[in-house]
Amino acid sequence: MRRIFNIRTFDIYKSGVKTSLAGVMTYRFDFILSMIITLLSNILFPLVTILIYTSGASFPGWDFYEVLLIQAIFTISNGVSGIMFGGLLWSTMGHVREGSFEIVLLKPVNPLFFLVLSTFSPDSISLILGGAVMMWFALSHTGIASAFAIVQFVLLFFAGLSVMAGMSVIMAAASFKWVGNSRLPEIFDSIKNFGKYPISVFPKLAQSFVTFIIPVGMIGFFPASAILGRLDPKLTIAVIPCALFMMFSIWLYNYMIRLYESVGG
Amino acid sequence: MNFIKHKFDVCKSVAFVTYKEWSAYRTHSMVSIFVGPVYFIVQYFIWTAVYGGNTELNGMGLNDIIRYFGASALIGYITMDFADWNLSMLIRTGKFLTFTLRPLNHRFFALSQKVGHRLLGFLVEFLPCLAIFSLLFGIDMTPASLPWTLISVALAFLMNFYVNYCLGMLSFWFVQSGGVRAVFQLLSGIFSGSVIPLVFFPKWLQQIQFFLPFQYTSYVPSMVFLGKYSLGSIEISLAQAVGMQALAVIVVFVVSEILYRVSIKHFTGVGA
Repeated sequence: MRRIFNIRTFDIYKSGVKTSLAGVMTYRFDFILSMIITLLSNILFPLVTILIYTSGASFPGWDFYEVLLIQAIFTISNGVSGIMFGGLLWSTMGHVREGSFEIVLLKPVNPLFFLVLSTFSPDSISLILGGAVMMWFALSHTGIASAFAIVQFVLLFFAGLSVMAGMSVIMAAASFKWVGNSRLPEIFDSIKNFGKYPISVFPKLAQSFVTFIIPVGMIGFFPASAILGRLDPKLTIAVIPCALFMMFSIWLYNYMIRLYESVGG
Repeated sequence: MNFIKHKFDVCKSVAFVTYKEWSAYRTHSMVSIFVGPVYFIVQYFIWTAVYGGNTELNGMGLNDIIRYFGASALIGYITMDFADWNLSMLIRTGKFLTFTLRPLNHRFFALSQKVGHRLLGFLVEFLPCLAIFSLLFGIDMTPASLPWTLISVALAFLMNFYVNYCLGMLSFWFVQSGGVRAVFQLLSGIFSGSVIPLVFFPKWLQQIQFFLPFQYTSYVPSMVFLGKYSLGSIEISLAQAVGMQALAVIVVFVVSEILYRVSIKHFTGVGA
């Protein structure tokens, strides 16, 4: 197995970031508009939450600011994963469709890592900023349970990021076989929908699914519960399915590379 | 009469070719068979929890809102299109030039393409999702009035097309119209009622939305499906709602016709 992590990793990532930023700065207005639209498109669900609560209804057991906190953390996680892994699917799909994936395979770096490092996507920066503002607003009303809650939150937030990363990698892996299907992201977006709301409103079977099988509950719900002091400490074990999910996605991607057939290569 | 027959023949031919072309990518459409029900089931659980002990919220009961989201999803499969993106691409690449040489209005051609594309959508998206909603989820997807619902959905089909086509025509005037189109799509997403029924918005905003075109693509046909229409404390009959929708379609059609004639004069193609 190729060495994944060495000093060149940082150089490759730095080059990818610089190239990407240089690209977006060429059309600055378009980039700014794109960031604004990305942010507004992704905060539709907090709008739904506002409208629900202003109608006098609520999610049982959760007040408005607590639900907003879940959605704020979800948005930030979306933003971070969008920046780091957002380009992986399209990059992989593009290479497979054009038959240029061999060029990636020839490089002296793990192909998955190379594509992740070289597809920095700054468009999602607005999600991090917007999510942070929402989070600050929500926390100013709910407060933070304790210092230990912050530690729990950080751990679970990174676990949630690993789930997002895993989804991006699985989608990219699927594109080796399901070539050119631009609707792949919709499949995982629909499942991620479960993670935008308190998972306690779903039936037990659905809760188990989004906690242990495709752990989208970790994206927003569990970190928010931790910081609010509402998380049963035993449930910290839920990070294990997240790590397993990510490991499975990496294994799947490498397996799909073995199935890849180049075009006249 | 010959004119209508000719138009029908052209529409049929273009729609058939488009259907055949897109049926090569039917798995692309079939993604909706998974995505649609998953989105719907999330809405089902959320609203069941939200309603809790409430029998009604903003004039809608739990059963109403579940059926609303089911209808909204299914209607979306019939009415969706990307006429704006398509037209924008043709103009940017210069391929629109070939359409100016043909004895065929491109807008009519694009509408015929949409008929073919959505016919495929009806078969591989609408029907399977309807079966899932009705048989698997046990949702009553029978419209309150089938004739009015069919007319309203047909008008939403036209409305969505003409609005998107008008957006696409921005590319005749602006080099980069993607941003403007994206902003419009965002507003449409919020105010069409596909995310949440419009009755949940503040009363003053509902009254503004009553005069905006967004509701006619999703909210109006979904409410006609339910058998009742109200917005901003204005309650009207199904016939009046559909009549209002028809008037809006006529207005948008006239706007698109004017825009088309002015834009064609403005169009310059490479080598034209």
